Amino acid sequence: MTGLKYQLKNSRRDKMCMLAFILPVLVGIAIHLLSGVSFQAMEETAFGIIENNMSDDAVKWLRSNGAVSEFDTRAALEAAVNDPSTQMIGVLPAGEGIQTIISGDELEVNQVIAETLPELYNNRNAALTFSSTILSPTTDNEGLKSLLIAMTLVTAMFMGCTFNAMNIIGEKEEGIGLVNQILPVSMVAFVSQKILLGFLGGTASSLMTAMICMKIAREQLAPFLLIVLLSAYISALAGLFIGHYANELMVGIGYIKIVMVIFLAPPIFFYLTVPHDSFIFRLSYLLPSSATFYGMMDVLNGRRVDMILTMGILLIHAVFWSLAYGCIRKIRQTDV
Amino acid sequence: MWRGCVHLLRKDFKLMLSSKFFLLAIISLVLYSCYINFVYVHLDQEMIPVYLYDPQRQVAVDSEYMTRLDSRVALETACADSYAVGFDFSGAESELYMRASGLDTTDHYRMIWGEAVLSGQMDGQTNIIGSNNKEMKNRREITAEFLFFELTAVGFLGLASMLFKEKQMGVMRVHGILPIPRGLFIFSKLMLLLLSDLVFTILLTLINLGVPTALDVLPGVLLQASLLSMMMTLIGFLCAIWLQDFKGFSLFYLVLAVFVTTPVFLAGQTGISWDWMVYHPMHYVFTAMKAAFFSATPEGVPYYLCCLGTILLLALLSYRALNRELTREG
Repeated sequence: MTGLKYQLKNSRRDKMCMLAFILPVLVGIAIHLLSGVSFQAMEETAFGIIENNMSDDAVKWLRSNGAVSEFDTRAALEAAVNDPSTQMIGVLPAGEGIQTIISGDELEVNQVIAETLPELYNNRNAALTFSSTILSPTTDNEGLKSLLIAMTLVTAMFMGCTFNAMNIIGEKEEGIGLVNQILPVSMVAFVSQKILLGFLGGTASSLMTAMICMKIAREQLAPFLLIVLLSAYISALAGLFIGHYANELMVGIGYIKIVMVIFLAPPIFFYLTVPHDSFIFRLSYLLPSSATFYGMMDVLNGRRVDMILTMGILLIHAVFWSLAYGCIRKIRQTDV
Repeated sequence: MWRGCVHLLRKDFKLMLSSKFFLLAIISLVLYSCYINFVYVHLDQEMIPVYLYDPQRQVAVDSEYMTRLDSRVALETACADSYAVGFDFSGAESELYMRASGLDTTDHYRMIWGEAVLSGQMDGQTNIIGSNNKEMKNRREITAEFLFFELTAVGFLGLASMLFKEKQMGVMRVHGILPIPRGLFIFSKLMLLLLSDLVFTILLTLINLGVPTALDVLPGVLLQASLLSMMMTLIGFLCAIWLQDFKGFSLFYLVLAVFVTTPVFLAGQTGISWDWMVYHPMHYVFTAMKAAFFSATPEGVPYYLCCLGTILLLALLSYRALNRELTREG
């Protein structure tokens, strides 16, 4: 216990560790402050009109189908339509009906909307002959926001490796690593202290981030906590590996960056682009962070987490990498 | 002095070679180009699909947006994504089935779109006023973003790692007693990094925009790239001198990458507008870079005056910081 106290004291003095701890929390605050409105506006169809140039009826109809922005002149409207970062459809009156202008570089969905909008407008008063069943949304429509939150949380969990990796490398550079070898500290005590350090850092940082920017339903609490704990443990293991292989601080920072990129980018890529029942998607479970990320997305979207799959994969990773680290330590010790 | 300059340039070049600066640049060039050509160009969102379960064939219309399914279960699974719209004609009363997306306007549009597809009333046309198609727009946009990122973040890191190495090796101390103007020390690094950034810019633009378009936009792009490259190199230089060790520097770098460039990217990519964006200096640089890639109207004289002023100021600060450092070391 005293050992751990010293380890924590050492980390507290380390600016890099403190930043690794605070950064996800800061990003969490930033996400929280970004109002949901600015994210929602991106998913609505955007229409642009010229002020006072359309009938109230037409404007009302447009407003019921998307977000409408008004411009002073035709030139301003055309500039907004042509702006490559928007998907805006310009709407102008044409006799009784309307006509549309687009830039030609829009997504397929917006091009089709623009082409068919005048016809849809003409038929706007056709009577509905359907009974409609509209199921309530599965999410609070925070698509992009929940993706950002999941990314931040996974970063926070796997940032845990920074704490113990930095700590180990720092000790190596200051020569404490050598002193440790002749001290009567058992390998188990040493390793468990270092793991606890990374584990506590990662867990605390992710819990703080989660408290700031996440609403978790009561029944989701247990899966969420289990995912956080297991991921923080795996991340602490990654920190041990980094500390083992890096002899210099600069190399260590490089390794940490590489680990973070490998842990973060593929799960997001697979989640967004690959069908979820395909073989390639399952292949992504070779990375522990994939299970964490998919689990987090389920928690955020209010879906039931597939506990057996997620926990199973995380457990396998935890056990496998613990054993691997044990083997490496043994080999190194026999070398010495 | 001329000979001294050549020697300095050669030394810095060797240093860049040994710190694998060029290797990193080539790797990122390959990565960016692969991502652009194999992934980004193909990103698209298809039109809202309409699914129809119609066992008695009551609907005669066929459309490219409509898919016929043969059971109610299939209909429900197909519509589970909160995007597609389904119609069920199996019962006495025909039914519209969909899962709400959470946005009232989008849901309303999905409903009238589904009905239009079902009734076949969806002819029409639109007027295209732009000159880019979607692929070309994607290429220009993402190339501008990658170039901006590479120049702000990576070039900055490259210079700093070089300077820290020199500090460590004691080169700074040696410089203090060499009969070479101290300005040259900054100048040689600035020139080499500028040159390598320009080569990178040319290659990235040529590979990803194709030769004809690239030749068209390159003059403007090179101008913006050189302004940005000089600013970032000088900032990197200043930070590397002011901050004591590489650890402190990488902290600073992390803050820069997350809080300085991310908002600019978000605003540029998605069209979100924040009021405080006007106070973000990098926003203007990014906008100018993007405008150059889209051959839009170039920025006015005040913008260039600001850029030149910033570069001069940074150069002056770097010179003074270097002087102080050398005096302290010497």
